Amino acid sequence: MFDIIAVDISGRHKVKDEYLMVCAAVAASVTADHIEKVNQITIRSFRSRSPPDIPYVVKMIEETVSELKFQGTIVAEAGDMYNKPQWLIDSMFSYDFKYQESLSERRCIEIAHHVSLSSRKLLLKELGVQ
Amino acid sequence: MKSAILVKRNDPRSEDEKNMLQLNELRELAEAAGYEVMCELTQTRHPDRKFHLGRGKVDELAQMVVHLKPDKIIFHNPLSTMQIYNISEICRCEIIDKFQLILEIFATRATTHRSKLQVELARLQYELPRARAVISILKKDERPGFMGLGGYEDSYAQDIKNRMTRIRSELETIQKDNEALRIHRHSKGFSLVALAGYTNAGKSTLFNALVDENVESKDMLFTTLLPTTRSLNVEGRDVLLTDTVGFIEDLPHWMVDAFRSTLDEIFLADVVLLVVDSSEDLENIRKKLLVCHETMWDQLQDVAIVTVFNKIDLIEEDELTERMSSLGYLAPNPVAVSAKSGFGFDELKAQIHDLLPKWERISLSFPMSEKAMSIVAWIFDEGLVHNIKYGKDISIDFEARDKIINKAISLAAELS
Repeated sequence: MFDIIAVDISGRHKVKDEYLMVCAAVAASVTADHIEKVNQITIRSFRSRSPPDIPYVVKMIEETVSELKFQGTIVAEAGDMYNKPQWLIDSMFSYDFKYQESLSERRCIEIAHHVSLSSRKLLLKELGVQ
Repeated sequence: MKSAILVKRNDPRSEDEKNMLQLNELRELAEAAGYEVMCELTQTRHPDRKFHLGRGKVDELAQMVVHLKPDKIIFHNPLSTMQIYNISEICRCEIIDKFQLILEIFATRATTHRSKLQVELARLQYELPRARAVISILKKDERPGFMGLGGYEDSYAQDIKNRMTRIRSELETIQKDNEALRIHRHSKGFSLVALAGYTNAGKSTLFNALVDENVESKDMLFTTLLPTTRSLNVEGRDVLLTDTVGFIEDLPHWMVDAFRSTLDEIFLADVVLLVVDSSEDLENIRKKLLVCHETMWDQLQDVAIVTVFNKIDLIEEDELTERMSSLGYLAPNPVAVSAKSGFGFDELKAQIHDLLPKWERISLSFPMSEKAMSIVAWIFDEGLVHNIKYGKDISIDFEARDKIINKAISLAAELS
C-alpha cells in the first residue's frame, strides 16, 4: 500500500471581480488499482484579485496539506499545474510531489474534485455570490 | 511494397527520450501498415500555422521526395487540412498523419462487416470537421464569385452526418446482439476475463498459449482488431477469455468511441489481465502502463486487475525483480509469465481464480432415485464437485454460484 495526498482546486475563474477558490486534500492509502482507505480530508478557501499563477497554486496546496495529520506524496492532475514538467513543480514543493499515474490515484483526485467543487458551491451560496 | 518518409516535429524543451520513443512507435506503425521507411526527418520548433514545420524544412522535404520518390509522407503530429494541402502542394506527395495511418491499418485488417463499419465510422468522424475545408480547397478554382460554393459545402458535411447516423444505427443493432450474447454467457455461469494492454505486449500469444488456439499473433502493432473469445478452465471453473485490440498513446477519444465494442469486452469483464512486455526498459514499461491506466480509467468500474509481466524469457531474473518492484504502484496483482514457454501459467490461473466472483460451497444430501441422479448430473455441469458419496442417500459437497445453490437446495428439498 502507498500513502498519497490527492489535491484539487476548484474556482479558477473570476466571479464578481475576484477569484474564490477552494482547495481539497484527500489523504488516502491506496494500492495500484483500489483505494484501500481514506484517512482524512481537509478543505481550505482562498480569495485573490488576480488569477492564480503556479507559485500561488503551490502555496494553496501546501497550506491545505499542512492541516492533514497524515503524510504522503502529493498527487495532482497535470492540468492543475498548467501542464508544466514534473521536475519543475517538484522543486517548488517542500513535500514529495508527482502527477497522477495509477487508477487509484485518479480515483482519489476525483474524490478531491467532488469535495472542492461542492464546498465551493456551498460557500458561494452562503456568501450570496452567484 | 509501399514506401514512406516519416516526419516528426518535436516541441522545444521536450524530453529527447520521449521523442525517440514516439518516433520508434511511428516507425513500427508504418511497418505494420506495410510501408518501407526510407527516411526520417525531425525538427524542433513551435508549430507553424501554415506548414506545421518551418518553411525551409518543408523545402528540404520536397527535395527528399524528388530523390527518394516515396508513396507517402507520414507525420507524427496531427495536421490541419490546410497544412496537409500546403505541404502536399510543395512536396507533390500524399501527406497523412498518425491517426490516418492508424485508420489505414484498421481499414486493411478489417475483415468482418462489423469492423468495416467501425472503420468507416472512424474515418467519417475524422473527416467531418475537415469537410468544409476539403471542399473549398478542392473546388478553389471553380469558385464563381463571392458566395462561392457555400451550399455545396454544407450539403457535403450533411451527407457525411447522414452516413454516420446510418452506420451508428446499424452498429447499435450488432452491439445489442453482442450484449445479449454476453448476458447469456454470464447467466450461464461463465465469468468473463479479458486481456488488455499496450499494443504488441503479447496478448494474442498469451491467449493462444492459455486456450491452446491459433489466433493470429505477430511481432506487429494492431495484429488483433476484433475480440476473440474462447473458454478456459481455471482450477475447475469455466471462464471465457477474450483477446482484444491493444491500446496506444494519444488515441483520440472519438477513435476510442468508434472501437468501443472491442473495449467493451474489457470494461464488462470480471477480471482484466493487463499484459506488459517486461523485456522493454523500465521507463518504457512505465509509460505504456500509464497509457493503459488512462485508457481504462473512464469506464472501468470496480474490476479486479492482474498485471501480467510477459516475455520473461527475454530478461534476467534480477532485472525482472527490479522492474516488478519499482512498478508496483502501477501494477496491481503482478504475475510473471512467459507466453512462449508456458512458465508462470499455474500462478496466473491461481491469481485469476482468487479474483473471480466468489462461489459458495455447500453439502447436500438427498435419497437415491432416478430424479436424484439427473440433479447430480446437472450439478456436475454447473458447479465444481469436491466430494460425492453414493449409498442409500447421495451426499454431495460442491461449489457453485448462488443461483445454482438455491435451485439445488429447493430440488433436494422436493426429493426428501
